Amino acid sequence: MFRIALKGIVGRKARLILTSLAVILGTSFLAGTSVFSDTLTRTFDNLFSDVFKNVDAYVRSSQVIEADFGLEERQRISIDLVSVVENVPGVRDASPDVQAFARIIGKDGKPLGSDGQGPPTFGSIGEEFAGALWSVAEGKWATASNEVVIDEASAKAGKYVVGDTVKVVAQSGSREFTLVGIASYGDVRSPGGATFALFDSATASEFLTKPGFIDAILVSGDGSVSDTKLAAAIQAALPTTAKTETLTGAQITLETQDQIGSALDFFGILLQTFSFIALGVGCFVIYNVFSISAAQRQRENALLRAIGASRKQVTRAMLIESVAVGLVGSTIGLVAGIGLSKGLSALLKALNIDIPSGGLVVKQDTIFSTIVIGLVVTVLSAILPARRAGKVPPLAAMRATALEIAEPGRKRLYGGFLSIALGVAIISAVVAGANNSYLGFGILFVFIGTIVLGPIIARPVALFLGRPAARFRGITGVMARQNSARNPKRTSRTASPVLIGVALVTAVTALAASIKGQINDVFTEQFKGDYAVTTNNQFTGGLSPSLALDLNKLPEVDKASGIGLITVKLNNNGQYFTTIDPGTVEGVFDLGLINAKYSDLTPNSIFLAESYSLRKNLPIGSNVTITLGDATQRELTVRGLYKFDELAGNFVVNRAMIANSAVVNFDIGVYILAKNGVPDGEVQAALDKAVKKYGQGELLSKDEYIDKQSGQVNQLLGLIYGLLMLSIIIAFVGIIITLLLSVFERQRELALLRAVGMTRSQVRTTVRWESVITSLLGAVLGIILGIGLGWVIVFALKDQGLTSFKLPVVPTIVIMVMSFIVGLFAAIYPAWRATRVNILDALNTN
Amino acid sequence: MTPQTLAVAASTISASKIYGSGEDAVYALNDVSVAFYEGQFTAIMGPSGSGKSTLMHCIAGLDELTKGSAIIDGVDLSTMKDKGLTELRREKIGFVFQSFNLVPTLTANENIRLPLMLGNDKGDEAWIQNVINTVHLQDRLTHRPSELSGGQQQRVAVARALASKPRIIFADEPTGNLDSTTGAEILSFMRKAVDELGQTIVMVTHDPVAAAYADRIIFLADGKVVNEMTEPTAAKVLDLMKTLGN
Repeated sequence: MFRIALKGIVGRKARLILTSLAVILGTSFLAGTSVFSDTLTRTFDNLFSDVFKNVDAYVRSSQVIEADFGLEERQRISIDLVSVVENVPGVRDASPDVQAFARIIGKDGKPLGSDGQGPPTFGSIGEEFAGALWSVAEGKWATASNEVVIDEASAKAGKYVVGDTVKVVAQSGSREFTLVGIASYGDVRSPGGATFALFDSATASEFLTKPGFIDAILVSGDGSVSDTKLAAAIQAALPTTAKTETLTGAQITLETQDQIGSALDFFGILLQTFSFIALGVGCFVIYNVFSISAAQRQRENALLRAIGASRKQVTRAMLIESVAVGLVGSTIGLVAGIGLSKGLSALLKALNIDIPSGGLVVKQDTIFSTIVIGLVVTVLSAILPARRAGKVPPLAAMRATALEIAEPGRKRLYGGFLSIALGVAIISAVVAGANNSYLGFGILFVFIGTIVLGPIIARPVALFLGRPAARFRGITGVMARQNSARNPKRTSRTASPVLIGVALVTAVTALAASIKGQINDVFTEQFKGDYAVTTNNQFTGGLSPSLALDLNKLPEVDKASGIGLITVKLNNNGQYFTTIDPGTVEGVFDLGLINAKYSDLTPNSIFLAESYSLRKNLPIGSNVTITLGDATQRELTVRGLYKFDELAGNFVVNRAMIANSAVVNFDIGVYILAKNGVPDGEVQAALDKAVKKYGQGELLSKDEYIDKQSGQVNQLLGLIYGLLMLSIIIAFVGIIITLLLSVFERQRELALLRAVGMTRSQVRTTVRWESVITSLLGAVLGIILGIGLGWVIVFALKDQGLTSFKLPVVPTIVIMVMSFIVGLFAAIYPAWRATRVNILDALNTN
Repeated sequence: MTPQTLAVAASTISASKIYGSGEDAVYALNDVSVAFYEGQFTAIMGPSGSGKSTLMHCIAGLDELTKGSAIIDGVDLSTMKDKGLTELRREKIGFVFQSFNLVPTLTANENIRLPLMLGNDKGDEAWIQNVINTVHLQDRLTHRPSELSGGQQQRVAVARALASKPRIIFADEPTGNLDSTTGAEILSFMRKAVDELGQTIVMVTHDPVAAAYADRIIFLADGKVVNEMTEPTAAKVLDLMKTLGN
């Protein structure tokens, strides 16, 4: 039997290739994404071990507030500590370190680098230091407060040569410097595409951060003691009042790698999740191919049964074939996946995200899991068809190959409805108040039920969808419609991957539309200004608080009010507090105050969101104690409550509270109300000029601003669409494979049609419309399920503030049109094959 | 009826079909010149491998000759491309095959009108009704092939071949898969189509009984025409076949 199975495989190469194709695609995505994320992780690991390669100890503040989203705010330390560290025995050299926002303005007046998105723009310290990675390629280090050194790449981009005057914008404002040197980073012109402006330590701390303060001290040892001892000695030498901690070079490297690692892990998990979805979709295709091939081999299997093969042997032969297909497919898939990850790297490069190349990382785990998963998935998908093949009665050998006539059984009907009913019941229970976590099961049951019912609904739906084709495409349309309905099991198995892909796309689209709608509503309600200045730069600070003050002074402006965000420790948890200026905020940003005035917000007061106040039992008049970023404590009295907490969060404080502290203080936006009667153009020009001085910040009109907020959802949406493409590609290939197999199966029918006068173009039309009908069948069911799924998810996110479901009408139409096009494209090759049927050969075979 | 008084519906001139080349060349047809006359029922007989099916396929535009020409309605088929040949088959030729004659997804009625529908042609409705009545299919029109018996399926095939009023109908062993009673029924329908509807039929068969329904029989052996018979009977055919060494 084994030999028969092997002969069967070798004898039908086309079938082997087609079956393997689905396995190859599924496993290549799996392998590709895991190779890609491993490579990414190692690349960043290497990058950061390079950064601290020559650093033996690292001194920084021990004062840190960790808040949501993995962000943390660490205090700065005094620059005076550098000399203390330098005198510790075992220290060869110590250098202050600052990493803050700074933007170099090019000769043409345009800022270099990008605002927020893409590689950051840094200001840092460039000094002679034993552990330094920067070296002066040309000129000298900056030694005076009016000197700067920039990285080679920036010098080239800004067309600067030593001796030029360079304008640099930092948090505190913009200033002009003399370019005294051009630096290179190791042997790279600029690390990872970031731009750097390097100053001497005094200038850096004064211009970039706060006079006298730095971020950290980098220490290079003389090798007399171990790094651990060195770090301990330094820490011991520093006064406890300085509140520092000292790490070894290895520790800081590891910490940085971990931070990047967890961000990459998230990305990796996202990639893997979607490649597993794609593989799941691929299962349908594999299952479908095996089913069709079992049906096509009915006579052959019946003959084997008739001459004495047992059921088991027939089934086993098919399973052996699936093992071969699984092994061959996943091996090719692995290789293809490695190629794919190369493509992904190239794609990132094209998107200007340049990753230092260190070769691809192909772990043994990846190789092993790809092949095992590919094999298991293939064999599992083949079990049912193989069992069915074994059940073929020996008598079938004597009959002409009957078409696979699917009379959907009662079991299927009941099973499908039961599953859907169960799913709907679970979802209803959640809607009625049960735990959200059951929602997933509800959705799963509805999906399973729909797919189980597939063969029953496929025929009527396909006939319905085929009506226009039958009506307007004459006999070819009639035949396409009949063909798509003639084998409902096959059609529904082909449409299922499309269904899953489309359902996910639709659900995500509906979710995005709802979120966007919500954002729109919230901003329209709460943002009352005419203009806003925002920044994408969230890594190295935001807008300078003085921007709002400057804008407020403009004669064209009625009011300009800055909105900031600070990290605060409350009950030992990091929290974001919104800072406002009570004097100007009224009329530009609406909190929905309840029985309070903005003027009630004195520097030692706090406003709370109404819901938070109720939840935590903190009524007006009660006190809360907070710890600021500079480790000082404040006692604040609740002076007011507000309704609109979508933007402001739970806490609002007066920005005067932190005005003279060491707390890192920046604005995330400035909201502006224009003076009545001043023409738009004038206001805009005046604002534009004032904002430009700061080198960052984007001036937007009210509508632009609101659009931009909701537009941010599009980025995430784009990423998810991209990942779902994997599933769509497999669904697409699934249609191609099924059509091809159908064409092979219908050779005689096609030959007859050709003999009685069907032209090649009519043959193509028939195949094309069958494909379109199948694709639309999946799309229609997928859209229905997807909208339901989207609604359910939006409902589940009710607690996160998502209140209204929005039906994505236009995207839904786009998805339908796309499915139509997918159907057209999938038919190209099978249709061509169908026209190549040799009439005589097909008619002569009995 | 003599050939001189009848118009030629289809013919071949020095037709050869050669597989392979040089010393290995196999002649499926070797210099065959033959004419089929309008309004006649012609049978082509011969042992397996005699080239009878090849001859039919080549005249019907399903296969290409290596040498010589096949002419239908005055047109040399070798000058035509695929599209032209397809349209020729659709408009001027009718086919009845041994088996698998019908499209399983279409009803009997749709199958009968298939060639017309493919050409976007309504056809002559009175004629089609006449054809349907002749083959007694009036009450089977909405059935699909799987719901019809073998004989009924073959009657649908005959009706389809007639529906577009072709210049000539080719039938390839049309009764090969049927029992003798049903076969006889099909043959008498074909006879009727010639006698009453004035059609031209060329039938390939190896069954002397079937061939006896024809007006004229052409005998082929080894790719050559070896004999001809008019007004045949089954007995006469059998006798002749014995002399041909079949």
